[in-house]
Amino acid sequence: MPVLFELQDACFEYDGIPALRGLSLEIAQGERVALLGANGSGKSTLLRILDALHFASKGSVSFDGQRLTPELFQRDDYALAFRRRVALVFQNPDVQLFNPTVFDEVAFGPLQLQWPKETILSKVAEAMELMGVTHLRDRPPYRLSGGEKKRVALASVLVLDPDVLLLDEPTATLDPRSQSQVVDLIQEWKGSSKTVITATHQLEIVEDIADRVFVLEEGRVAATGIPPEILPNYELLLRANLVHAHRHSHGSVIHSHPHLHSHSKHEH
Amino acid sequence: MKRGFLESTFVGFARVVTRAMISEETARRRGLLQALDPRVRVVGLFSLVLAVTLSRKISVVVALLTVAVAIAILSRVSLFVLVKRVWLVVLGFTAVIAVPAIFVTPGDPVATFGFLTITEQGLRTAAMLILRVETAVTFTTLLILCTPWTHVLKALRAFRLPKEAIAMLAMTHRYVFLLVETASQMLESRRSRTVGILKPAAQRRMAARTAGVLLSKSIELSNEVYLAMQSRGFRGDIQILSDFRLDAWDYLGLTAFLLAGGLAVWMGR
Amino acid sequence: MHIPDGYLSPSTCAVLYAAAATGWYSALKRLKRMLLTRVVPLISVFAAFSFVVMMFNLPLPGGTTGHALGVTIATIVLGPSGGILAISIALVIQALFFGDGGISTLGANCFNMAIIGSLVAYGSYRMIAAGSSITSRRRVVSAAIAGYLAVNAAALVAAIEFGIQPMLFHDARGTPLYAPYPLSIAIPAMMIGHLTFAGLAEAVITAGVVAYLQAADPALLLSTSGLAGGESLTLRPASGSLRRLWIAVAALMLLTPLGILAAGTAWGEWSPSQLAKTGVVKVQVSKSANHPSPAAVPAGLQKLATLWTAPFPAYAPSFVRSRAFGYLLSAMFAVGFLLAASLFLHRFLPRRGRTEYSG
Repeated sequence: MPVLFELQDACFEYDGIPALRGLSLEIAQGERVALLGANGSGKSTLLRILDALHFASKGSVSFDGQRLTPELFQRDDYALAFRRRVALVFQNPDVQLFNPTVFDEVAFGPLQLQWPKETILSKVAEAMELMGVTHLRDRPPYRLSGGEKKRVALASVLVLDPDVLLLDEPTATLDPRSQSQVVDLIQEWKGSSKTVITATHQLEIVEDIADRVFVLEEGRVAATGIPPEILPNYELLLRANLVHAHRHSHGSVIHSHPHLHSHSKHEH
Repeated sequence: MKRGFLESTFVGFARVVTRAMISEETARRRGLLQALDPRVRVVGLFSLVLAVTLSRKISVVVALLTVAVAIAILSRVSLFVLVKRVWLVVLGFTAVIAVPAIFVTPGDPVATFGFLTITEQGLRTAAMLILRVETAVTFTTLLILCTPWTHVLKALRAFRLPKEAIAMLAMTHRYVFLLVETASQMLESRRSRTVGILKPAAQRRMAARTAGVLLSKSIELSNEVYLAMQSRGFRGDIQILSDFRLDAWDYLGLTAFLLAGGLAVWMGR
Repeated sequence: MHIPDGYLSPSTCAVLYAAAATGWYSALKRLKRMLLTRVVPLISVFAAFSFVVMMFNLPLPGGTTGHALGVTIATIVLGPSGGILAISIALVIQALFFGDGGISTLGANCFNMAIIGSLVAYGSYRMIAAGSSITSRRRVVSAAIAGYLAVNAAALVAAIEFGIQPMLFHDARGTPLYAPYPLSIAIPAMMIGHLTFAGLAEAVITAGVVAYLQAADPALLLSTSGLAGGESLTLRPASGSLRRLWIAVAALMLLTPLGILAAGTAWGEWSPSQLAKTGVVKVQVSKSANHPSPAAVPAGLQKLATLWTAPFPAYAPSFVRSRAFGYLLSAMFAVGFLLAASLFLHRFLPRRGRTEYSG
């Protein structure tokens, strides 16, 4: 499969504070990739760089062989084509849902891409149906539950039928049932031509959602590999602040064991 | 009185949010206004508000008020809600302003109490003011109660407002509720952390800090929203989709509104 | 301070809508030029923020509570164009959705609170804080003063709008058709509430937020600081669209007294020869003896004041011919004239540098 994203020594700063410090990676079309990292590791920034919302200050970022630069995105034709092909689901649903109703939200992308009205209406209906939010059509976002918001957010990007899905912590803030729904959705894309890049710190879903993992630490790729290689590597995960050691005592005996952030049950 | 502003603002916030929900229920009922195209509702009701302002005779304003009540009944708006939430409230603060005019306006005296004289002109002007305000507010409230907010906004396009204006109104409305919630949470968490009632100076500081934090969050939110908009193809030209279609009833309704308004203006000139 | 429907005549509403529209148009154009596509999310969220701030019920020194307007914070962070738009949007939402302020008076409310408020806030803040560092105490104080002045300026303009209603718009029997109180009552009545509560509330919250930002996020204060490095969210001296706004304001202030004069002659039994006779003028002045006369008034001003009120027919309500009203109109005319003069001068004199502020 052809390489879709190629980053070489990419650097980016927010107001002088470095977020990416020379990050390099390659992602091929059709891959399902997980970006593992703690807060501050740069994974959200990386997603935004991949979505061309920010541009690297140093190094290069390429999509489908083309270097992504601000100048390139001043061209309407390229920008609109890119926006359709690459979609980002933000971590905070309130940021993603900025339209007055669910229908308006899902229709926003097609409207900006200037699809004809009839096409918009039918595609929006399809996307809402797909994500099971048709009954929420006229609902304003502040009257949606967390899970509903996430489904609407997904509908609003899926309506464009993107080739690349960038998901920023898709299961954060969700109840367990909604979480598993999202995971199921990502699993469905396995084997399709869609490229899915998920940023998360929840280790327990990684195996389900990714065939390859990048571990991010301080704006760089600390390690890369397949889930069976990465997940048991306790030292690596500890260093990347994805797990923490937990100490507690039973009487006079002190136990120390690795603890996933999900605080699942542990053995004694 | 010294319950502390925290509680009272909190209550105020909650009231805002709940009130928003009540409107949507009335909008779903099947009544006169609900059956008309939102643009007809907006243009029609606003032209009646204009008629209220243009009329110079009390009798005409009363007639318009009757029309408003009739529309309310036909649109299945609860008169109880109208009286309680609108008329009494408006009467409350308008009376405060209007009543002194009874004594102060020079003209033909009607009654005298010591040094206070009630004039006929005073009575008429007070009545006129109260009636005007009540009627105008009734029309506006009917529009809002019977129309989902988003339809109101899109209908405003009928007035040729720039797209950015509509987009800003829509987005502001959408984020008011988020910010109200955020502010409530901030105040609530501070409330639970403080013991007893804070002194006014401390309350002021807390208000300022809450506002300050809210401001920073707001700016950050707007930056993130901007990125989200760009991510979905926004390039600066807002596109708005509205699938309103006018049918025969709409034209009839519009004509009725404009005729009523025109008649009122002509008769009240 | 939100004026409901029915308090202002249609013509007043129309004039103020026109004035407000000029302000909106200029502000939007300016913001689009500077912020390009970021205008919509930034102004929207800020309008929502102002909306929430307006709801705070602040305890004030002295044991009372009051509501702030939020216009000063908006102006200090976003600059006057941003302030104008953000507050206007908040006002539209309040009027439509919460019945706070009327539809016919929306233009008036936006003109008073959003436009006058923002411009006065900006002007006084820049002037008083001039040159001081971002984190200096002087900025906090100037923010407070700017807030106080802005709210009171807005209230004063609203009061004037109220106060001229009974004189201009009444039926044949003398019944005021809209706001029933003359300037002599409207102005004190409006101003008392704002000089004390609302002005203080605005001052308090503005100062508090500026102080908070100085510690937490000083960059937000940069754009209106007039200091080097400030992002150009703000006013450049005598820039095209805002100057046009000032011209509009000046015109309004110049023409209103003249308009009133004209209105007075419309239904007055007034003849030029009568006016020329200062005898007639003096008689009318003495007739308003029930109104307190200021201590020492220059003769010229006295004459000028009575010029406005003289043409009104004898059967017009006496408050119309009060001296106070005459002074006020003169003041308005004078301010309008000064404004026009300064705009004129600024146009034709060489500019002195970036941080010069005109008007």
